[in-house]
Amino acid sequence: MLVVDDLHAGYGASEVLVGTSLTVKRGAVVALIGANGAGKTTTMRAISGLLRPSRGRVVLDGKEVQGLDPSRIARLGLAHSPEGRKVFGPLSVEDNLLLGAYARLPRFFGFRSRAQADLDRIYELFPRLKDRARQSAGTLSGGEQQMLAIGRALMARPKVMLLDEPSMGLAPVIVQEVFRTIRRLKEEGITLLLVEQFAKSALEVADYAYVMERGHIAVEGTPEELGRNERVIAAYLG
Amino acid sequence: MNALIIGQMAVSGALMGLVYALIAYGFQLTYATSKSINFGQGELVMVSAFFSLTLTNLGAPYWLMVPGGLLFGALLGLIVERAGVRLALEQKSEGWILLSIIIGLFFFSAAENIWGRDDRPFPTPISADPINIFGVDVTRLELSVAVGVLAIMGLVELFKRRTLLGKAFEAVSADRDAAELMGISATRTVMLSYGLSGAVAALAGILVSPITTVGPTMASALILKAFSVAVVAGLDSGFGVVVIGMALGALESLASFYLGSGWREAPGLTLLILALAVRPTGVFGKAAIRKV
Repeated sequence: MLVVDDLHAGYGASEVLVGTSLTVKRGAVVALIGANGAGKTTTMRAISGLLRPSRGRVVLDGKEVQGLDPSRIARLGLAHSPEGRKVFGPLSVEDNLLLGAYARLPRFFGFRSRAQADLDRIYELFPRLKDRARQSAGTLSGGEQQMLAIGRALMARPKVMLLDEPSMGLAPVIVQEVFRTIRRLKEEGITLLLVEQFAKSALEVADYAYVMERGHIAVEGTPEELGRNERVIAAYLG
Repeated sequence: MNALIIGQMAVSGALMGLVYALIAYGFQLTYATSKSINFGQGELVMVSAFFSLTLTNLGAPYWLMVPGGLLFGALLGLIVERAGVRLALEQKSEGWILLSIIIGLFFFSAAENIWGRDDRPFPTPISADPINIFGVDVTRLELSVAVGVLAIMGLVELFKRRTLLGKAFEAVSADRDAAELMGISATRTVMLSYGLSGAVAALAGILVSPITTVGPTMASALILKAFSVAVVAGLDSGFGVVVIGMALGALESLASFYLGSGWREAPGLTLLILALAVRPTGVFGKAAIRKV
């Protein structure tokens, strides 16, 4: 579904990614773990087009998308819930969600009724968002903003979803809630690439995992395999 | 008697001030999506007014001339964006300042060559006979300025709040990258904002011209005041530009009455200096709050 092949990207002269390759199969949850600065977020940004790769290929559902504008890639079926959540602070919670489905809704009128089924689904997944539907997103707590960011990405009914550091800066209870949601989405068959600091939690939910070091994939395997790898245990799971 | 004169001056000045407000509102529209403004906005006002005058002279009725003029203004706005602003924004440079001034100069030369240098009357079916409201004389023409300005600003605000495209506009201004990730093309949204801004400038020209006449010099006269209004009110409050625009218009008219017409520009410039010194984000501007 998503194939990343020999990806190079960076900021200015400094290259952060030096030949990253990974594959996310349809219906699989794949975790991308690694230390701070290993290039996890940069990988996500290069896949979704926020950062233009200097070399390599990104294949989404059989189509090469590297070098396209992020809005173009999004319309082709990729939803990227970015690091730091990036909700639209001045807009209401519901408007944030509606914009998640922007690509397939009418631009002027009747968009709300067309999106109602998806909205209901998100509200069922995150009842707290329903209570706060009219509130501006900037006033939400960090955990609520994270739920909104996930909900907004789901509104697109993406073929592939990228979820970057959903637990960042959240209280442990909320982190558990986020992972419960991810598990549920997995049961529903989502195709997900998950970047996480909490390697342990990420491996518990993932079907397959990649470990990044200094801009490329150092180790890969099923969570069981990584759980037996001494290097991985020492560095990330200890 | 004296109070009545003050009232009279203040009211006609405030109504004129709404034109400054409308031009300043045009700055806000493009600033929201691209953090850039068109320094040649005054030329857009002027050229669109001349174009609308030509439409009228060709026999177009008022109700046809207005949308024609607005469309023309939108087209000019798109030209400014495509031929100037975008080139600079793509390189993340501040070159849009100079580029938009240069395109404005082109428009200015074109206007002088096509329509000449003289100020010309702008015929309108709206009567200039005064109506007496609470002892103050107001002409229908002046009222048409108020109605036109408030109507178009209301429409644009309605568009931003009620349509999905308008919400996308707001999303781009809140967080460009995140908006792109939703499939919203920031480039197109910036185009849209320049188109809207051009249409708004054209309406300002159409509304003000019957009162002041049309001529190439109206560009620079209007732009400076619109700048003052935008700086004092801040670049994100539509309500702010209306209030400040009316206040500035009233002050100007009082200054030219009591101090002599040579002092007409003084209040605007004083306000500008004060605003820059005391509150650079604008009286109505929000201080940027950033959550990490």
